[in-house]
Amino acid sequence: MEITGMLHGATLLKHVDFPATEVLGPGATNDQIQDLLTRYGQVFVKPVFRGGVGKKGKAGLVGRATNLETALAEKERLYFVEHRHGNAIAKAHGVTFEAGVPAEHEVYFSITDDSRFRAPTMTITHQGGVDIEELDDTEIATVPFDALTGLKAFVVANALTDIKAPRELISPLVQHLPKLWELVHNYGMTTLELNPIRMRPGRGARLNPIACDFKGGFDRDDPRVARLGLPDQIFAADVSPFEQEVNQLRTHQGQSDVFVINDKGTILAPTFGGGANSLVTEVLGESAIISSDFGGNPPYEKMKSVASICYRHFLAQTNVLFIIGGKSNNTDIFETFRGMGDALREHFSAHGPTPLFIVVGRGGPNLVRGMGNLAETLDSLGLPYRFFGFDSAISEVVNYAKDVDAWMQAGGREEIGRTLGVAQSALGGRT
Amino acid sequence: MKRQSQPGFPYHLGIGNLQDVATKSDRVCVLNILGGESRQVTPTSHAFSGGNVVFGTSPGRAGQVLRTSSGDIPVYNNVREGIDAGHGFNVGVVYLPPSGVRDGVAELVRVNDALEKIIIITEKVAVHDAREVRAMAQSNSVDVIGGNCLGVADSWNQVRLGGALGGDHPEEALTKGSVAIFSNSGGFTTTIAQYLATEGWGTTTLISSGKDVYIHYSARDFAHAFQADDRSKAAVLYVEPGGYYERGIDFGKPAIACVVGRWKSKLTRAVGHAGAMAGSGDRAEDKERWFMEAFEVPELFTPNNQVVSAKGAVVTNIAHIPAALTAVMRLNSIAPDFSSRGSLALKPWIADDKGLALPAELALAPTEAPNPYNAQIGALSQQIGAVIARQTMKDTSGASKMDPKTQVTSVHGHSVLDMAMEPLEAIFALPLVHEIANENDRVMLDIAVAAEVNLTGDPILAATDAAREAGNAPNTIMAVAAGIVGPKRIDRALACTGVLIDLFAHSGLLEGHDEAFDSSSVQLNDKHRGLFAATPEEADDPRPQAILDGVKARGGKSAFLAYLRGMGTQLNRDGLLAALALTIAWAPLQRKRISRLTAETLPWYLRLYGVMIGASIPSQNHQPGSLYGIPRAERFSHWTMADLCFLALTGKKPTNGETLPLQLLIGLLISNGPGAISAQGAKGAVAADGPQTPSRVQINKAMMGFLTHCGFSHGGNGFEGIAFLLEQFKGSGLSDPSDPNHGLDLQAMAHRFATQYKADKRQAKDLGQDVRALPGVHHPVFKGKPVNVDPREQFIAAFLEERGEYNVFHAYYRELVKALYDVGASPYIFCVNVDAIIAALLLALFWKDYEAGTMRDHDLEQAAFNVFLYGRMIGAAAEIDDHVNRGRNMDTRTPASQCHFVV
Repeated sequence: MEITGMLHGATLLKHVDFPATEVLGPGATNDQIQDLLTRYGQVFVKPVFRGGVGKKGKAGLVGRATNLETALAEKERLYFVEHRHGNAIAKAHGVTFEAGVPAEHEVYFSITDDSRFRAPTMTITHQGGVDIEELDDTEIATVPFDALTGLKAFVVANALTDIKAPRELISPLVQHLPKLWELVHNYGMTTLELNPIRMRPGRGARLNPIACDFKGGFDRDDPRVARLGLPDQIFAADVSPFEQEVNQLRTHQGQSDVFVINDKGTILAPTFGGGANSLVTEVLGESAIISSDFGGNPPYEKMKSVASICYRHFLAQTNVLFIIGGKSNNTDIFETFRGMGDALREHFSAHGPTPLFIVVGRGGPNLVRGMGNLAETLDSLGLPYRFFGFDSAISEVVNYAKDVDAWMQAGGREEIGRTLGVAQSALGGRT
Repeated sequence: MKRQSQPGFPYHLGIGNLQDVATKSDRVCVLNILGGESRQVTPTSHAFSGGNVVFGTSPGRAGQVLRTSSGDIPVYNNVREGIDAGHGFNVGVVYLPPSGVRDGVAELVRVNDALEKIIIITEKVAVHDAREVRAMAQSNSVDVIGGNCLGVADSWNQVRLGGALGGDHPEEALTKGSVAIFSNSGGFTTTIAQYLATEGWGTTTLISSGKDVYIHYSARDFAHAFQADDRSKAAVLYVEPGGYYERGIDFGKPAIACVVGRWKSKLTRAVGHAGAMAGSGDRAEDKERWFMEAFEVPELFTPNNQVVSAKGAVVTNIAHIPAALTAVMRLNSIAPDFSSRGSLALKPWIADDKGLALPAELALAPTEAPNPYNAQIGALSQQIGAVIARQTMKDTSGASKMDPKTQVTSVHGHSVLDMAMEPLEAIFALPLVHEIANENDRVMLDIAVAAEVNLTGDPILAATDAAREAGNAPNTIMAVAAGIVGPKRIDRALACTGVLIDLFAHSGLLEGHDEAFDSSSVQLNDKHRGLFAATPEEADDPRPQAILDGVKARGGKSAFLAYLRGMGTQLNRDGLLAALALTIAWAPLQRKRISRLTAETLPWYLRLYGVMIGASIPSQNHQPGSLYGIPRAERFSHWTMADLCFLALTGKKPTNGETLPLQLLIGLLISNGPGAISAQGAKGAVAADGPQTPSRVQINKAMMGFLTHCGFSHGGNGFEGIAFLLEQFKGSGLSDPSDPNHGLDLQAMAHRFATQYKADKRQAKDLGQDVRALPGVHHPVFKGKPVNVDPREQFIAAFLEERGEYNVFHAYYRELVKALYDVGASPYIFCVNVDAIIAALLLALFWKDYEAGTMRDHDLEQAAFNVFLYGRMIGAAAEIDDHVNRGRNMDTRTPASQCHFVV
């Protein structure tokens, strides 16, 4: 859950009265853009990415204009521009026009929870506007502070003194920056980065900090985020309908986030436990359809609902239904297996059979009862299966599931389809 | 109270030695002790640790207790009440929901000065709250472990605090040894301990750290306590990407780091553990590098590339931890704690390949699970056949389903269209065994049913004669016969089946046809032997021998017949019926495709099939040893189900190819889903007997339920189409309906009729009367397009065309729908529906007899009805068996609130 850019950033900063550059959204009229140009002399045209993207690979994605013609040309260039970094591709959905703020000084400022200190930590430099990794350590102050008392003016003042910031910056920054802690701490943020904050001369030559770019991370487990009243779609960065549906069931009782790894994958792996999730997805690679962690002892009804959603979206393409986890400590195997089995039975009732091989690797309370119950369901559905206990290495079980997938692709799927009476044309999936 | 911190740390760290993480003297207070998770976990922790939980809190539930095998744990509204009641503790365990965690920590640190450790089990605690928890704990000099963790445990002290490390049986995972474990994953904390045992390593202290953004007890804190712990000779760390907790740590003793999560750098979002978000410089690769630098190893350890130093090794798969540890310890001259326990090789516990031919590397045979799981699995394997959960089956079927779009019904996954392509003997057992029969099973079925059709000497014949003379329709006549095949008439056959199932259940026999199976270990006692032997009254019954001869003549194989033949005694009919039926049912039973109940009742269905078909043959055609003059030996050794049905309908032995239309017809008529009246009748009959006591369900009565729920509108209406066609073709001079050179101008005939029909229609409209409906034309689903087709009709037509079969009546229907449109009698080209093709096939079957005068209208109507009954008895059997297996007592009734009264 991230937000980048000033379109929403400026609104958020208003919550704590932190000055921000004037910004127009994608719907700005030519007159409005011209007005901005007239008043500020130049505007920056930036693409809007839902959910935000990292700074890497963003070179060339900012346009600068001093006249309307250039501004509109940049708008056309950047409106649907794609940002690529590694495997991640984000497509812009519009542009913003941000007033150029003339300034001599640019400040970098961020608050984040730093694992080195296990405390909220401020990072500040008066040499902002660039990647701070490029700066010398002596030019940057990284200062943890007390979460209970918050970011105090003296912390900012001390830090600026330590890095020998020009003295005209100190007073305005000491006055304004502590407000940002209020935004971070009271609205469920995990990270806030303003870079640059341009120091614009105001009345009596006093400098005023103006936030000119915004990056924020939000904690999806914190209900305080709702206080900001942000529209849901801001965080809907390329969220598939499946992800949206399944993650609605996310509570503290089981199930961390579920993501689609490869929507053309052939192994559907409900995974239990964060560790298992890491290992399984790593070994399965592109064969995995989703990455999931359904551990945390989900009750029967919830397990069944989650499984139903997974089946509805992906079972038709699935070769191997792979139920995998380590030896659970408190997740009840009987309840979770019963939930997944009953959901499978209902799915078959509603949508007809689909060729599947079921591989299970699991341990935990009520293990054999759970396996027995699932076996009964699979028997009644006519599906082949192989259940491994906790005494087989989990990575070996993952490799076994991959081997079964390969067999399914090499004709096994048709073979099972025949025993289920599934017509060739309805076999679907990737074979 | 300011407690002593460990020297050299810029923050408070109270725990200086792993020995102090979970001790026998720790006393615990559990917040939200009556919450769902705590209620499951705390009793085990308490009992395992020798009763270390002094009290728990649950606001508003003071006075209650949490029962455990080591005594009740008292519950108070809050911590202060517990302390006031005299309970002292130094460890707080937090099971509160996420929003309550911060306040719970505040309560613990403010109310209890003696507090040393807090363990937070709760997951998804907001970062905001975690920040404040850290700050509060630091300012009060309290160590926090977690959140989102499974707590800590000590294998030497046999104590676990907080969460569920080791699950229900912590003693299994917490084996005393020399390795300390620190894991970001709760589940893997004990999984790693279990893996270590395979190389002979036990454990000292196990810490599930959690993997939130704030890891309150981190790897650095652990390394400090590990160095001070003399018991711990080595450490294993399981870490994931995110955070700088592991950078630049000196462990001072050998350690193995397992770093997992390289794939996460491909993702931009947090997955799994909340804090495991790849940031900058703290990816899995970075962490691998930190550890490689710390251990002074150039590469990762894998089984094929065992890179280790005396300081440690880095792996990326937890299965490689034990081998890496052993290799590192060897360099330190430290031997494992005990001899190896188990292995990590693939060991399937339970498997069923459903008869698939899997490659050898996939077809791993199940191995024996460790204690106590092996005994539990053993108990499961005693279970023969499928177990099906009961539910209300009103208007619901687990056997049949009609696709509302295509109107095609399928039974146990096989569409009626596909079934129409199969020989009848391949599908008669399908409702029970859920599979299309193979060649051998067809032999068994042909003979089993053939042996029941001739009813000479049976009172059933008298009853059916009486019913026929009383003017009853074919369904009623059949129902009379079915009514007589009651429980006592089948008792012995069912008992024989039960005995055979018991005898062979765990014998290793996989296929019913496996005559080579060594059954020498299968022993029949005298009592059971008597069940299969012919009684003195049966001594002269020629049928058992005829059955055996028939099987032999057809080359049929049956492990059960082979076994019974080995008894050396004269066998009775029931025993043979049981053996034939079980040969068919055995493989599906072994594969758990069907229940034992289904396999056990199969003989009843087979007998009913035979009797019901027999009942449709007038009594004068049943003679001792022959039916319509066809000798028993011929029928038993050659005849198929289709031949038998053809004989029953026409009184004639079919010539080559004559049974094909009949096969198609019967296949098409098998089922129309659970909503059909006939299915409802069958299901109601089962529900009324109470399927929850399946032995009381009268299968024959359920068949009567189906039969009494057929009639002139449902089943008997096949004749309407025939009557329509007769009207069109009477006096046409047609001699052979299958000859394309019939010499008739079908187009002109159709046009003539359509023109007249249009006039009739207009006249009826003028008079305000209903327009006569044309049987076989139009369908409420397949309509509205310029040209409409019923996919079922199309399927059968294509099949016939492919085989070069021609049917003039069908051809006429196709002309008719065009003509109706051409003359303006229909707004678009109606479909020729499936009823038309049924009528066309039926009439063609009987046309020659009809033209010759040996069959009259009434006979045609009876025959059409019987064909329906032959097909639908298969579908009815499917519904009956399904309802007996799945249904609840009286589950088809409608609540009074949903019934309506009209005046």
